[in-house]
Amino acid sequence: MKRLEKDESLCIGCRQCEEACSKAFYKVADSAKSCIRITDREDGTHGIAVCTQCGKCAEVCNTGVITADAKGVYRLNKKECAGCLMCVGFCPENVMVQCDDYLEPSKCTACGLCVKACPTGAIRIVEE
Amino acid sequence: MKLNNRPYADWHEGLTIRGVMEHMNFTWPKLVVKVNGQLIWPEDYDKVVLNEDDDLKIHHLLGGG
Amino acid sequence: MIRMCDLPRYADADMEEIKKMKEAHEVLNQVTYDPTPLHRGYTDKRLKIDVTDNSVSIIDIPQEVKEKFTGGKGYCLRYLWDATNPDTKWNSPENAITMSAGPIAGITQYGGTGKCLVCTISPMTDIPIDSNVGGYFGPFLKFSGFDVIELTGKAKEDVIIVIDGNKGTISIEKAPLEHKDAHILGEELTAMYAEDENDRKNVAVVCSGSAAEHCNLSMLNFTFYDPKRNVVRLKQAGRGGIGRVFADKHIKALVCHFRGVKANLNDVYDIKIINKDGLKFHREVATQDDKQNSMRKSGTAYSIRTLSDYDILPTHNYKYGGTDKVDEMAPEVWREKWLTQGGADGCWYGCSMACAKTADHFLLKTGPYKGHRVCVDGPEYESAAGLGPNCGITDPQVILELNFYCDTYGIDTISYGTMTAFLMECYENGILNKERTGGLELVWGNAEADLEMLHQMARNEGFGKIAALGAHKQKLYFAEQGWGDPAFLNDIAMEQKGLEYSEYGCKESLAQQGGYGLTNKGPQHDEAWLIFMDQVNNQIPTFEDKAEALYYYPMFRTWFGLLGLCKLPWNDIVPADNSLTDEPAKVPEHVDNYLDLYYGVTGTKIDRDDMIRMSERVYNFQRIFNIRLGKGLRKNDAIPYRSQGPVTEEEYLSRQERYDRQLVDLVGYTREEVEKMTLKEKMAATRRHRESEYEKLIDAVYPKRGWTLNGVPTVAHLKELGMDLPELLEIVEPLQDVQP
Repeated sequence: MKRLEKDESLCIGCRQCEEACSKAFYKVADSAKSCIRITDREDGTHGIAVCTQCGKCAEVCNTGVITADAKGVYRLNKKECAGCLMCVGFCPENVMVQCDDYLEPSKCTACGLCVKACPTGAIRIVEE
Repeated sequence: MKLNNRPYADWHEGLTIRGVMEHMNFTWPKLVVKVNGQLIWPEDYDKVVLNEDDDLKIHHLLGGG
Repeated sequence: MIRMCDLPRYADADMEEIKKMKEAHEVLNQVTYDPTPLHRGYTDKRLKIDVTDNSVSIIDIPQEVKEKFTGGKGYCLRYLWDATNPDTKWNSPENAITMSAGPIAGITQYGGTGKCLVCTISPMTDIPIDSNVGGYFGPFLKFSGFDVIELTGKAKEDVIIVIDGNKGTISIEKAPLEHKDAHILGEELTAMYAEDENDRKNVAVVCSGSAAEHCNLSMLNFTFYDPKRNVVRLKQAGRGGIGRVFADKHIKALVCHFRGVKANLNDVYDIKIINKDGLKFHREVATQDDKQNSMRKSGTAYSIRTLSDYDILPTHNYKYGGTDKVDEMAPEVWREKWLTQGGADGCWYGCSMACAKTADHFLLKTGPYKGHRVCVDGPEYESAAGLGPNCGITDPQVILELNFYCDTYGIDTISYGTMTAFLMECYENGILNKERTGGLELVWGNAEADLEMLHQMARNEGFGKIAALGAHKQKLYFAEQGWGDPAFLNDIAMEQKGLEYSEYGCKESLAQQGGYGLTNKGPQHDEAWLIFMDQVNNQIPTFEDKAEALYYYPMFRTWFGLLGLCKLPWNDIVPADNSLTDEPAKVPEHVDNYLDLYYGVTGTKIDRDDMIRMSERVYNFQRIFNIRLGKGLRKNDAIPYRSQGPVTEEEYLSRQERYDRQLVDLVGYTREEVEKMTLKEKMAATRRHRESEYEKLIDAVYPKRGWTLNGVPTVAHLKELGMDLPELLEIVEPLQDVQP
């Protein structure tokens, strides 16, 4: 199973990951369009929300257009997606992207672009 | 004490909101509870002790459309 | 627990058989058309098909109709009126079946937005019936270019009508070989018109079942294909015998194929609003449903046990309000043992409430499909209560079997449950006996006899022929035969206007007696459900309060049917802070969501008063439609005494303390007087009081609704609503001064 793993203690809140993610598909640097979400805590540390490939999105989809690939990464078939947004609303990590310019949401494919962008190694790809 | 604008006959010292609910067999899952107009959240049903002159409202919200 | 992820998929249909069936079709007429794309929720087109001559017409919907009738039920009633005349009966060729989804229907982002409304002149009530149904047909019809479809005429042999919204074709075909029962016919037609497995979700079927040819209680099934289970699911336009009219027209099925469902096929005014509210709604369900009604886990059946606690669950033909055997069908029993958990059980895209639960691979023990393992859609609360405790049955196995056969035969579970409860009470009282029922021992809780009666109804045999009449015609028939005292039959037959009651006991809620009695189509709770507000919360103690509730709620709830919406997402989930609002029962934030959705789709801003006004136009139109057909007056709003108070001695005695106390508190007797009264005297005094309370309620409600005391909409009210249409004035003007 392939997925992102995080170590929040290493995060410096630079948001390079968010930028890399949103640029990859949406071609803009916009944290609202990123499938990885950084939050600032009052104590100066940072929270990282990433897709854990838990599959909740696939479970709630009544069209069955979100399916796990051979590596356990849940992928959304946009062509068949009716854009109901249930997957976005039920995502336990709140890391699916809904953007009004597009009819379908998008989700983390564990592509690793955020990992490459992270200067401190706070996120990494694991394959188990 | 009054329950939903009707006299409540079974008041006793130490009666809690939960006590009223159990006595009345109020098992509906969606309730809005107010004591003298003050909203009480579910986590406080066991804690709030009712006085003899309290105005308790336990409103059931319908379901099913 | 049965989990979706462990569930074996259902088998595919036999494509060789399907091919043979299709080859046996004979095309009677096929037309091609250019599907009108939707703009802001409307196509402004009406599709009219007459199966007598197989003509197909596509007609513009005038702006005036749109303004006054909105869509959905409004359109259905408008075009039903136009198709019929004051002498039209349910089986007249000109009687139409109209179906319309409404302008919001077909968005995918918000829960409960795929509803289709269906109207016809009912074989049970002889006035218009309206039914609200899920499944994919309503939205697909819109995407295929039509705001409403109207079916008239009578075919000589069974036909199916196939609309392909991608190709732009409408075809009427003789279809002799397909099965009639819905769970098979739905599969056959889905497989037949899907290009491949992936295309099955793009086929929606409307059909009844084998009982529809002779059973007044027949409904229409609306399908949707469930890709996870690989099975066709059935939702029902249940009430009032629409299936009977469908079968009388020899329409075996209506099929709509549409590929390419997307979030903005309605070409909405502002998709941002819809996305925002939709997402907010899904998040609310995700975080609150487990704390509230657990709709995702048990569907509407969650309420069975708790309604028994409140003396509301109809038991033994509404004699009682609960049973101590209710734990046998408690929510956890359904969840743990019968209903598949973790499915995406919305009956349209985007319904995160997902209340359409199923019992999967359910092994049937009786009837023509004995030994088959099937998918049972349900049971919803109404089905479980009506088929269950109302008939003295609490075994989920039996309730599911009854539910399955009702669905596949095309029989309304609510009418069947209430009617069977009536028959059982007749049997228990000697009005029926083994001789009269052809051997069916219809005592409380006799599941075997109950199921056999249902199978006989489908086969049109034996006592099934009597059962197929429905409670209203049964009571007339029994009286005619000299079986039982007509007055007693009138008291215990839980029907009004010819329609059986839905499943709530309302003896202790006067407002709900009105909620059932003062309805347009007959006693269905979809106009008003006031039992908690009235009986438990004591929020509407005066006649004025009750009248206000019986004005506001029916109008508010009518709005859902105009727009193509389901009511459950309005109040089966509420925002976490709903308790803080001034009127939690109205769920104000959700009302605002609906105003947003309307604006987002149509581009027209409306407020809460406009909502009520939109409904009032259609509501009054329907009332006058009833008057046009000889009902719709005060006398037609009378209700059976079983819904008002204790008919029998055992009923009185079962709640004697309550009734005795009421004689003191409400009627004005002294305690001493009550102690000296005989049981018969107490029952008579209770009855006089309760019946007069109902009349007082009517006196308060009618003026609130803008009606005369005879129940006729006033000319002034119609003018105020902009509904002073000549065809309406012609009916109400002569009645303005007629006293009840």
